[in-house]
Amino acid sequence: MNRVLAAIGVAFLLVVPFVTRNPFYQHLLIMVLFWTLLGIAWNLLGGFAGQVSFGHAAFLGVGAYTTMLLYLKLGWSPWLGLILGGVVGALVALPIGFICFRLRGPYFSLATLAVAEIIRLVALNWETLTAGPTGLLITQLPALNWFGRPVNWESKLPFYYIAVALALFAMGTTWFVSRSRLGAYLLAIREDMDSAEAAGIDTTRTKVAALAISAFIAGLAGGFYGLYFRYIDPDAVFSISMSVEMVFIAVVGGIATTAGPIVGAVFLVTISEFFRERFQVGHLIFYGVLMMIVIRYMPDGIWGRLRRWLLGATTQS
Amino acid sequence: MATLLQSIVSGVLTGSLYAMIAVGLTIVFGVMRIINMAHGEMVMLGMFGAYWGYTLWKLDPFVSVLLWVPLMFVFGASVHRMLLRKIIPSGELNTLLYTAGLSLLIANVALFFWTGDYRTINLAYALTPARPFGISISLPLAIAFAIAILVTTALYLFLSRTDTGRAIRATAQNPDSAALMGVNVVRIDTITFALGTALAGAAGVLLAPSLYLYPTVGEILVVKCFVIVVLGGLGSVPGAIAGGVLLGLVESLGAVYVSVAYKDTIGFVLFLLVLLFRPAGLFGVGRS
Repeated sequence: MNRVLAAIGVAFLLVVPFVTRNPFYQHLLIMVLFWTLLGIAWNLLGGFAGQVSFGHAAFLGVGAYTTMLLYLKLGWSPWLGLILGGVVGALVALPIGFICFRLRGPYFSLATLAVAEIIRLVALNWETLTAGPTGLLITQLPALNWFGRPVNWESKLPFYYIAVALALFAMGTTWFVSRSRLGAYLLAIREDMDSAEAAGIDTTRTKVAALAISAFIAGLAGGFYGLYFRYIDPDAVFSISMSVEMVFIAVVGGIATTAGPIVGAVFLVTISEFFRERFQVGHLIFYGVLMMIVIRYMPDGIWGRLRRWLLGATTQS
Repeated sequence: MATLLQSIVSGVLTGSLYAMIAVGLTIVFGVMRIINMAHGEMVMLGMFGAYWGYTLWKLDPFVSVLLWVPLMFVFGASVHRMLLRKIIPSGELNTLLYTAGLSLLIANVALFFWTGDYRTINLAYALTPARPFGISISLPLAIAFAIAILVTTALYLFLSRTDTGRAIRATAQNPDSAALMGVNVVRIDTITFALGTALAGAAGVLLAPSLYLYPTVGEILVVKCFVIVVLGGLGSVPGAIAGGVLLGLVESLGAVYVSVAYKDTIGFVLFLLVLLFRPAGLFGVGRS
């Protein structure tokens, strides 16, 4: 069942750009995939291990700045920079993890919020490196050939396929983690940290490992953000609202599931982008409403509910 | 010397208002064990109340506070009764996420109706600051300071002298025992949440003449509030008051003697250090 759904999903993603040439819909698809990526990143730690981070924008921002700076200052290929963005995100996550994981539950959440704010303020004020509030701008992306044909960076299509590749990689990672020993450890930590510790799991190391993988994906998403918009500044990539929105994507979609973040992103991003087109402001109203409905009535999220319904339907037939 | 005095005075004045917001957050945490992410939005609503009172009906914010505080109390009570009460038993993290949802909802409904423009309230008497002993004191901030002290003292007396206040403190210590002693815990929860909301709203009204107001201002204020309650010890009212004044001082002294750019960073670093090494707060009175 899951394989059939996955195959349908991948086929749909590859075919969809041939259906529409409307730049708004193409942008919408890219945004859905970008937020899926962030939702997946957050879900690895927040969903599987139950460690609610309100500071994931830190990794997104570090990734974005790494990619942009390597290209602008050293002239490194942005595609290498994209991956290095993930690597630097994961490296930054290690000390943050060892500090913040001394705390539990809501205290951990508050600590991550503070760490992300400190990093935002440093990025805002370290002007020789980050250009401060002015931000970084890429005027031109390097020429690239794909099967002998030059890639047109003015079109949205190449970014769409990059986003698809990144999202599939991230979903594959989630799937892999959820079936591995690490995944089992994380679930044990979520259910009861003390019992997990008593059973011989090194909880801090396990959580830091999950955070590093999560930060790697968030860093990749950050690099992609920089290249797609060609402009970043600290208040865009390090903002509290970035951190908070990715929590909403994962929780509304379905905590601790492989497909949850994509379902959450499809729902929330589509609604909010249409709302933004129509009314300009207040597009996060539905994030708030759906979060409240999900927590109250369907704790395993939209995808969790949908999956139970689908599975129920197949067993009956 | 004058600079030092000046920054101490303005630090204490701003700090007293921070303290008032933080007291609201900390009593809610003390009684219900929830961290209310939507607390900043309650302050924002108070600020906009003051703004509309002034723009539409020419009501001075320090007069309209008498109108908005009871309204915010009722608003807080209904939020607890209709929304939060069912969520709290499902755990700390669920409640945290739920209030984050509520926070985003209120802020964005406000954005939708009032747009993201920065607004100000220009009071006639705010233009000339008082100048005792060569330091300049903004009049609206001084009046707000006086009212904040009055309100906080009244709250302190309420918590320590009245039956309802004692019931609130008993519930904070142990809800089960309080219930066995005949305290209606659900009613106390509602009253406490309403009280917390009213305090946030009052602080918002008082702050409105001294700050820019816009619908997402709550985000910054609530983060400052977290810093304060952790500094003072989560759940402790005197701790929150001390923490508020301390953060006000750190910010104003930091801006003068360290750097304007990094003044907010000092608060966060202090926050992390306290969280890690003194989880019961600087004075050791909170619950870790």
